[in-house]
Amino acid sequence: MNHFPESWGRPRDDIYGTYNPAYLQSTGPKAHTQSPAVTGTSVIAVKFNGGVAIAADNLASYGSLARFTDVKRLRKFSDTAVVGFSGDVSDMQYMDRLLESIDIRENYSTHGNMLNAKNLHTYLSKVLYKRRSEFNPLWNHILVVGFDGDKKPFLSSADLLGTTYSAPHLATGFGAHLAVPILRRLFPEDRPTEDITKEDAVKALRECLKVLWYRDARSLDKYSLAIITEEGVEIKEDQRLENQSWAFAETIRGYGAQVV
Amino acid sequence: MFRNNYDNDAVTFSPQGRIFQVEYAQEAVKQGSVVVGLVNKTHAVLVGLKRNAEELSSYQKKIIEIDSHMGVAIAGLASDARVLSNYMKQQSLGSRMTYGRPIPVDRIVTQIADRAQLNTQQYGKRPYGVGLLVAGVDEAGPHLFEFQPSGMIHEMVACAIGARSQMARTYLERNLEQISTSSRDELITHGLRALKETLSQDKELTVDNTSVGVVGQGATGKTESFKLYEGQQLVPLLEVLEQSDSAETREEETMEVDS
Amino acid sequence: MVCLSRPRKLGIHRRKLISGQTSIGTGYDLSNSVFSPDGRNFQVEYAVKAVENGGTAIGIRCKDGVVLAVEKIISSKLLKPGANKRIATVDRHVGIVSSGLVPDGRHFVSRARDEASSWRNIYKSPITVPALSNRLGSYVQAFTLYSSVRPFGVTSIIGGWDSEGELAVDGQVGTGPQSGAGGKVKGAKAGGPGLYMIEPSGLYWGYYGAATGKGRQAAKAELEKLDLGSETLTLVDAVKEAARIIYVAHEDSKDKDFELEMSWISSLDGPTKGKHEEVPKELLEEAEKAAKRSLEDEDEDEGPKGNANGDERMEE
Repeated sequence: MNHFPESWGRPRDDIYGTYNPAYLQSTGPKAHTQSPAVTGTSVIAVKFNGGVAIAADNLASYGSLARFTDVKRLRKFSDTAVVGFSGDVSDMQYMDRLLESIDIRENYSTHGNMLNAKNLHTYLSKVLYKRRSEFNPLWNHILVVGFDGDKKPFLSSADLLGTTYSAPHLATGFGAHLAVPILRRLFPEDRPTEDITKEDAVKALRECLKVLWYRDARSLDKYSLAIITEEGVEIKEDQRLENQSWAFAETIRGYGAQVV
Repeated sequence: MFRNNYDNDAVTFSPQGRIFQVEYAQEAVKQGSVVVGLVNKTHAVLVGLKRNAEELSSYQKKIIEIDSHMGVAIAGLASDARVLSNYMKQQSLGSRMTYGRPIPVDRIVTQIADRAQLNTQQYGKRPYGVGLLVAGVDEAGPHLFEFQPSGMIHEMVACAIGARSQMARTYLERNLEQISTSSRDELITHGLRALKETLSQDKELTVDNTSVGVVGQGATGKTESFKLYEGQQLVPLLEVLEQSDSAETREEETMEVDS
Repeated sequence: MVCLSRPRKLGIHRRKLISGQTSIGTGYDLSNSVFSPDGRNFQVEYAVKAVENGGTAIGIRCKDGVVLAVEKIISSKLLKPGANKRIATVDRHVGIVSSGLVPDGRHFVSRARDEASSWRNIYKSPITVPALSNRLGSYVQAFTLYSSVRPFGVTSIIGGWDSEGELAVDGQVGTGPQSGAGGKVKGAKAGGPGLYMIEPSGLYWGYYGAATGKGRQAAKAELEKLDLGSETLTLVDAVKEAARIIYVAHEDSKDKDFELEMSWISSLDGPTKGKHEEVPKELLEEAEKAAKRSLEDEDEDEGPKGNANGDERMEE
């Protein structure tokens, strides 16, 4: 047995002869865009009383290489929404240009009728779904935050398949495994969003980012944080994780050359 | 015999800079039966006078719902109106599909106007022979637009197009103040009254020949969906009209009006 | 079919008519893209006639921005006041106002927006005002080339501000290197105000002050007095001058009511931050008040105005 999928579950070569590889596809269209290249990791977001907070680190990885360390993965749309991107960075740039052209179009006339975060999320999820249906997905998992048509805080996710879901707090990528449990503990289901202050939300995000920085090898301790309220969008882009403590690392056992 | 050589197509300017084919298309609007539109702070109302080709035929539709937040009233070639209204329906559906929002009224009106403009600048096409009144609501409130075959659009507070519509416009101009401060139901009555002004002596508004469309923002700020009143649904509206008319005549007897 | 065959029927004696300034009856004016024997395209000249009846539109270019203004004749009491905008935004940093056939103006603006957006798709940055004007000039000119279309019945004024600062590339995610290859040149100067006017022939010029429409002669005379070439007028003063000029130009059609619509674009550190916007209500009202006042003052000690004679040039 080896790690090539085509040899898994095959009759043994020494008894039945080698498999005819002509049956395996060896030519075909180039598929450079069908897997991610430069990627961003988790995005996390929490609803609070009167708004939503969202955060993501500033790293773009090239495989396991920390390639770019000043990448802004939280993109502002007008004063009405923020989109947080994880996944492929060039696909994020493509979607950012889409957002830019929509924003320009929306502002041709001045009176009212701005797209809100909910509209934007609907649109982006259709784009993602269309591309996955063409077998050429935009390799991203996004969180859209802002307000819906009823002026209520809005937070929803869309992934590279066009799947959408919503919750009072969300995280993509590694964060879905590491941050969500923390957020669930801090903000249990029976605690209403109205009970959570902006400070609570921001503190929780910072906490989660720190855990991600400790345990996600594709993360960074430089991050961006956006807060959207009725007053507008506030983005802080050059934040650094404070009060790191790696003491816990001493107690980890079972890796590499370590013996017990 | 001197003949106008500049009116054969829509791609020829006359020496005065006019385009006769477009002006002739505007005449087709004047041949259509009258429709009236008006807005107040919360609602937009369309009112139309329907015609039947003969005694036993049905009446031609005058008001078409485009989406739950918008409708149009037509005067002129009904088939041209169908082309335009189908396009509007598609566009509004598209907006709901991709963005999950009702299309802003000015946006869609501009779209059909841009389409109409192209028909006046390319050979082999003809201008649309229909005028529209588009009534709808969006985040910016209620709107009423007038659309003309030339591709001209205007946002109006009140408007009337079609045969003998001048009478209705005169009524609307005289009552602008009351219209803008009216309630939803008063707005409908003003519309019906304006429509009534255009009727010739021997005619009156009936449940058969009248159409009313209403759309607006309800008390809670939610959209009050476009509602078309036809047939028996009109009975209460026409009754209110009659009552207000008799009240009016009583008032006029005491208060002399100069004209 | 369009009357392509008509010019062939011309008798030789008719040629005299043409040189005698008359276009009507020659047959050379019945189709676009046809030259008359003395080298004119009458359909384009007729399109200009459509412009000459339109509401006056002007543009003023000053050192720190551009102002656009238009006189909107109120054709009916039923029009919604303040709605029905005639100045359009293209991309974020350009404004266009047209005089003539209003639907043609919208067609023109729609093309401008397409050009600006396709420019962004290719170059990942906003189109410059001269580049946009150039493309639109070509577009309008193309409508003089074929008998299957008619020329635009508008003259359009294009005003904008090309950013003097460093612009993010569309989709840019990081700050990039501070020096070395791909780094930034210190102190490089770029951008500034732009004002162009395109006529139905496709002809366009850059202007310090541009005017078109019914009251263009009076407006031009007023613009010339401003000495815009010296670039001493400030943007806020230009707003006030623009309002006054529209009011002056309206004097000839005083019997009709009108609405004044104005927009402006300033430098990045100015009031609009490089964006094309409507002039704020307070400033607009202030400018209108000042305009009315200055007209009243003039009425007291003003003689006759300069002559109004059109000098339309097709060639050049």
